[in-house]
Amino acid sequence: MTLDQALAEARGKYALIIDLNKCTGCRACELACHQRNELPGDMSYIRVYPKQKPDGSPYFLPVQCQHCVKAPCESVCPTGATYHHESGAVLVNDKTCVGCRYCMVACPYDARRYDEEKGIAEKCWLCLDWVLGGGVPACVQACAPGARIFGRLDDPDSEVSQLIASGRAKPLHPEFGTEPGILFYIFPGE
Amino acid sequence: MGQTHWGWLVAIYLFLGGMGAGSLLTAAVVELTGERYKHAFCPTTLIGAGVSGPLVIIGSLLLIFDLGAGKMEPWRIIYMFTHFTSVMTWGIWLLTLFIPVSLLYGLMEIMDNYPGILAWLRRFLKFLPATLPYRSIRRVLAGVGAVLAVGVAIYTGILLSVVRAVPLWHTPLLPLLFLVSAGSTGMGLTIDLGATIAVPDVARRFHALPIIHIVLIGLEAVLIGLVLAVAWLQGGVAAESARLVLMGPNAVIFWAFVVFPGLFYPFVVHAYAIGARRHGFISGILSGAGIVIAGLFLRYLIVFSGIPVAL
Repeated sequence: MTLDQALAEARGKYALIIDLNKCTGCRACELACHQRNELPGDMSYIRVYPKQKPDGSPYFLPVQCQHCVKAPCESVCPTGATYHHESGAVLVNDKTCVGCRYCMVACPYDARRYDEEKGIAEKCWLCLDWVLGGGVPACVQACAPGARIFGRLDDPDSEVSQLIASGRAKPLHPEFGTEPGILFYIFPGE
Repeated sequence: MGQTHWGWLVAIYLFLGGMGAGSLLTAAVVELTGERYKHAFCPTTLIGAGVSGPLVIIGSLLLIFDLGAGKMEPWRIIYMFTHFTSVMTWGIWLLTLFIPVSLLYGLMEIMDNYPGILAWLRRFLKFLPATLPYRSIRRVLAGVGAVLAVGVAIYTGILLSVVRAVPLWHTPLLPLLFLVSAGSTGMGLTIDLGATIAVPDVARRFHALPIIHIVLIGLEAVLIGLVLAVAWLQGGVAAESARLVLMGPNAVIFWAFVVFPGLFYPFVVHAYAIGARRHGFISGILSGAGIVIAGLFLRYLIVFSGIPVAL
């Protein structure tokens, strides 16, 4: 297979499913993201929130950019720096972002991070350079309990497609109306 | 508590943009009704047109100053004119159109009222025929400026109201509130403060103005009440936002810097002015200053009390 063929094959739609029954809240994904993207301070594109089930027992909810189909960050961006990649990932062009932070205000998942140094609002970009080369995002690599399942959404036989089709994997807060396109969750007890 | 991404600079910018737009609207009303030409000296059109451009320019500079990469590399600002799904893009266009119109209108007012001023500019403009229909030009500028002013004032509200992630903001009442408040702060600055200081001893000559103003103040009170009531009744973080304003940490600012000086006291002063056809020198200044301060703190409250949806 030539490199061109490999790259052509890597093009497609992806999904990242987080199984909250397996997440231990260890925050390895947070740290892996911080290191892989060389982010300042303790910044990470992922935040792990401690939550409680109805019965009072704890669970953890890792949140990052959901790569929404109807992304509010994209529509409020005055420069068009935020855009959709063909893979379904929502990306930020660091050459045209002016750092107005309108996207940060508009994102209901609070998934944007502001880099004071560069004056740019950044976020999870699905480690697309690795993914398009056939790899997986840093957070998926780092997840020790295997709570993060990454795969192709355009292959109906893939694990992620099966989980989403069966209804086990669901979007987080669908009532926000942004239609998460890549991140899905298996909620506790499901 | 509230959202932390936008702060003071945005609040001040929304305030200056609204007040600049309102000042021009005030001048335009007096101009287009022909009231301006019934007096030898009309402070309202002079001040209203004169301050509108500078206020909006200062506001726009604050907006640029609040940017990150757009401040470090100013040429990036050109991209902000390109993405029309964004209300901010509409706003940049409105500001860009409003500023030259308001500056030109203000300049014409200043040169008309003070023939001795700007002698260098007059020498520079010598080539213009003396018979130009200056009055018609001024009326056109006032009319076009008024349309743009309404756009600027409404846009400052739409900017926040499209944000679904902040339920306090996400209501069509907000653009209306900002429009009404822009009109009221514009009149407060231009008439209550400006005209009162400029012509202290004159009875308020244009009797429709205090009536317009008291209607705006009343509407503003109703709209503030509605925005908070709608948020309160929604429950969740919207209700938390309303509680923050009405009885939480921001309540002192709300009652002492918005409701009393910006709504209650000016309402009393204008009710008296309508009846007596004049108001006192001190009460006019206090009313104007109160309205201006309340205009700033109203926007501060809205910006800082907007709590994002919970995850």
